[in-house]
Amino acid sequence: MAIANDEFRRLIEAHQRMVFSIALRVIGDYATAEEVAQDVFLALHRSGERLAGEDHIRHWLRRVATHRSIDALRRQTHRPEADAEEWVEEMDAGTMPSGNFALHARLDDLLRTLPEPMRVVVVLRYQEEMLPEEIARMLGQSVASVKCHLHRGLTLLRRKAAVTMKEYVRETA
Amino acid sequence: MKQPEEFSEFEQELAQAMSAVDPPEGFAERVMARVQSPAPAKAKVVRMQPRVLPVWLSGAIAAALLVGVYTGEQAHQRHQREKAIRAEQQFDEGMRITDETLEHVRLQLQQAGIPAGE
Repeated sequence: MAIANDEFRRLIEAHQRMVFSIALRVIGDYATAEEVAQDVFLALHRSGERLAGEDHIRHWLRRVATHRSIDALRRQTHRPEADAEEWVEEMDAGTMPSGNFALHARLDDLLRTLPEPMRVVVVLRYQEEMLPEEIARMLGQSVASVKCHLHRGLTLLRRKAAVTMKEYVRETA
Repeated sequence: MKQPEEFSEFEQELAQAMSAVDPPEGFAERVMARVQSPAPAKAKVVRMQPRVLPVWLSGAIAAALLVGVYTGEQAHQRHQREKAIRAEQQFDEGMRITDETLEHVRLQLQQAGIPAGE
């Protein structure tokens, strides 16, 4: 038996930000991210009877969202890093968290330039605040491999940020 | 289990910038609609559609292209015909001048008593 409609609606509202954010940051395309996020919830609805407890559901959603986002990213013929400007336009002030919008947008742009394995572990580490051991279990990789991707991803991001932020400061000065 | 205090300044900034974002307006409704529809197939998402021309405009463009190609071909053929006529006229004129010159030379040779030969 699938989840009752009221309960399912509550689950969507409770977890939609997490599922959509993972999809958006991994895939980098707004429309595809929504498509993947919808599919994740549909899969939850279908397998709801096998899931017990809020934590279990949260972990399940995070895992399925991550794997489906990776699949969607690999299916894309053109990678999202090519249209970073579009990303900034899509993320209008209404959907962005409060704070320095430009800084947030820049960091997201930089994130999109990372190769897939690095991008995924960075998203899971800093958006979902998962430990390398948890990420390794979820992705079926070794902890060493996750730490390596994380380290390389951070180094790349830091290097790119140093250049980009300098340009940003120059532009806004 | 989370250890944000272990993050460097850059990592903290990154974590802050990567806070979760809201899905597009009406996301939950669209998921519910798919669940309740008898055959939930493809996700319905808000997506920019490629610009599609109206049928009449496509037809008009195609017709204009055909007319353009036909007119161009006609003009090209007319131009070629005119060129051929001009070449023919120039050839006739050239032949006429040559005949006159030869006739003039033949007369002069005749006056000088030199046989022109046949």
